[in-house]
Amino acid sequence: MKTRKNIIFWIFIVISFTPYLYLFYDFKKVKFSVDNLVGFYPIYGFLACVGLIIFAKLLGLVLKKDEDFYD
Amino acid sequence: MIDFISYPVSYLVLGAIVIFLRPYFANTIGVLSIVSSMLCLFVVSDSQILNYKIMSFDNIFYEISDLSFLFCVVFLIIGLFGKIFSFYRENSNEKGYVLLYIASALGVVLSGDFLTLYVFWEAMAITSTFVIWSTRNQLSLDSGNRYIILHLIGGLILLIGLIGLYSQTYDLTIREISLNTWYSWFILIGLLLNAGAPPFSQWIPDAYPEGSYSSSVFLSAYTTKTSVYVLIVTFAGNSILIYVGIYMILYGIVYALLENDIRRILSYSIVNQVGFMIVGIGIGTELAINGTSAHAFSHIIYKGLLLMSAGSVLYVTGKRKCSDVGGLYKTMPITAACGIIGAFAISAFPFTSGFISKSMIVESSYIEGLEIIWYFLLIGSAGVFLHAGIKFPWFVFFHRDKKLEATDPPILMTIPMVSLSFICIILGIFPNLLYVLLPYSVDYVPYTGNHVVSQLHLLLFSGLAFFMALKYLERTLTITLDIDYLYRRNYTLLRLILSRIVSYLPSPREIFRYTKIDKKLYLIENTLLNQSSISIMLSIITVVIVLVFLLNI
Repeated sequence: MKTRKNIIFWIFIVISFTPYLYLFYDFKKVKFSVDNLVGFYPIYGFLACVGLIIFAKLLGLVLKKDEDFYD
Repeated sequence: MIDFISYPVSYLVLGAIVIFLRPYFANTIGVLSIVSSMLCLFVVSDSQILNYKIMSFDNIFYEISDLSFLFCVVFLIIGLFGKIFSFYRENSNEKGYVLLYIASALGVVLSGDFLTLYVFWEAMAITSTFVIWSTRNQLSLDSGNRYIILHLIGGLILLIGLIGLYSQTYDLTIREISLNTWYSWFILIGLLLNAGAPPFSQWIPDAYPEGSYSSSVFLSAYTTKTSVYVLIVTFAGNSILIYVGIYMILYGIVYALLENDIRRILSYSIVNQVGFMIVGIGIGTELAINGTSAHAFSHIIYKGLLLMSAGSVLYVTGKRKCSDVGGLYKTMPITAACGIIGAFAISAFPFTSGFISKSMIVESSYIEGLEIIWYFLLIGSAGVFLHAGIKFPWFVFFHRDKKLEATDPPILMTIPMVSLSFICIILGIFPNLLYVLLPYSVDYVPYTGNHVVSQLHLLLFSGLAFFMALKYLERTLTITLDIDYLYRRNYTLLRLILSRIVSYLPSPREIFRYTKIDKKLYLIENTLLNQSSISIMLSIITVVIVLVFLLNI
C-alpha cells in the first residue's frame, strides 16, 4: 500500500500544476455554456469516474457470482 | 487467372491451404502470404473490379474505395505483426484458420454487393470459431459453441434482411439503406450483432479471452471492425446508432470495472471503443465518419498491442487473472512499457494515436450541437482511462508484487509489441500520416490548446478518482452475470432434462449390437469425438466453398 500513497502524492503534485494549463485554453472558442467554466473538465471527469465506480459497485452486488456459477 | 492474381484475398486462402498441407512451414507461409497480399493491395489499381456472375447474380468481389483501402491496410498490418507474435505458438492449424479468418474479413471489406458480403460474413464467423477452438481446452470449446450459435443466428437475421432487400428492389449492390422498411431493420440488427451491440454485447468478452495467447490478437481486430465498416457504408447518419453506441460505451466501462480476467477486461473495452465508433456512424457528418474510420484504425493497432502484452504475461507466467499477477514491471520491463503505451493510447492521451482519432468523434458531436451526447462522450473518455488506461497496467504490472518468476518474452514476441507501440506514438505525433488515408478530406487540427488542455484535465482527474477509490476496486474471484445467463443457465437445465429422457431410451449401440452397423457407428463416434479431425474436415469445406466462389465453377 506504500506505492499507492506514493502515487497519490505524485498525482497531487501533477494536479497542482493543472491550473496553469489554462494559459493555453481559449475561452472565446467555446460553444456550450459549460466549457467556459473554469474547472469544468476536471470536476466533470472526477465526478463521472466516481459515479461510474459507484454504479458498477451497486450493479456488482446483484450480478457478481462465484467463478464456478455455470459449471 | 489474372483476376485471381490481382485479388488480395486469394493469397491468404492459398497460404492457408499450404499451411494445412505442410504444417512445418506454417510461420514462413503465414508471413509470406500476408506480405504478398499487402503488395497486391498496393500495386493493383483503384479501378480494378472483379466481377463474376454466379446463379444470375452479379457478384462483385473486388471493389475498392478509400474507406475499404484504409480497413484493408490496417487489417493486414495487424495480421502481419500478429503472425510474427505467434511464431512460438505450436499449433499450425490455428495459423491456417487465422489466415482464412483474415481472408474472409478482407473479403467482406472488398466486396461490392451484399451476396458476396454475406458469404464472407459467414465464412468469418466459422473461421473465427475455429481460431477460438484451437486453444483446445474445455473452456474454449464451450465458448466457441456459444459464439458460433450466436453468430449463425445473427447471420440468419442478416440473410432475411438481404432477401427482403432483393425481393423489393432487385438490387444487391452495397449502398446506403434508409431505415423505413422492415428488411432494413433486419439488416441493421444482423450487422449490429457482429459489432457487439446490446443486448448481446457479452459474446465479445465471452469468446475472445478463450483464444490462445496469440490468437486473441487476431480475434480482437476483425469481426467487430468489419461490422463497423459495413455500418459506415450502409447506415451512416441514423440517429438510433448514437444511442446504441452510448449504451455500449457505458456497458464496456461498468462491466470492465467488475471483471478480474485480464483479457476479458480488454474485451469489454473493445465493446466500449466500438461504441465510440457507432456513435460516430450515428452522427454521420464527414468529420464523424473520418473520426470513426481513424478510430477504427488506431483502435486495431493499440488493442492488438494491449492484447499482445496481456498475451505475453499469459505466455510467460501462465496466469490470466488480475488477482494472480502483480508487480511484473520489474521482471517484464519491455512488456510493461508497451502495455502502458497501449493503455495511454486507448485512453487518448495527447501524442498517442487514440487522441488524434477519438477527439474527431467527440468534436463532431460538439460541432453538431448534440450537447447531451457530448456529455456522455466525455463520461466515456474519462471512463476509458479508468477501466483500461489505468486498471489494466496497474493490476498487472504494479499493485501488489506477487513475486512471480518471469522474464520478458522471446525476441519475436517483443519486436511486434515494440513496433506497434512505435506506430501508436508516431501516429499521435504526426496525425497527417493517418489523415491522408481517410475517406473525406480532413481540415481538422487535433493539437489546439483547448483540445489538449481539456483532455489532460479530464484524464488526470479520473486518474485521481481511480487511486482514491482503489480500495473499492480490489479484484475478487467472481464473474459477472449478463444476458448469457438466460441461455447458459437454462442450457445446463435443458441438457439435464434431455439426458434424463435419453437415458431411458435404448441407445442405438444396443439396438445394433452384434451387427455390421455397430462397427460403423463406433467409427463415426470416434471421429466426431476427435476435435481436430472435425476441424480439419470443416476447414476443408470452408476452403472449397471459398474456392468455388473464387474460380466460379
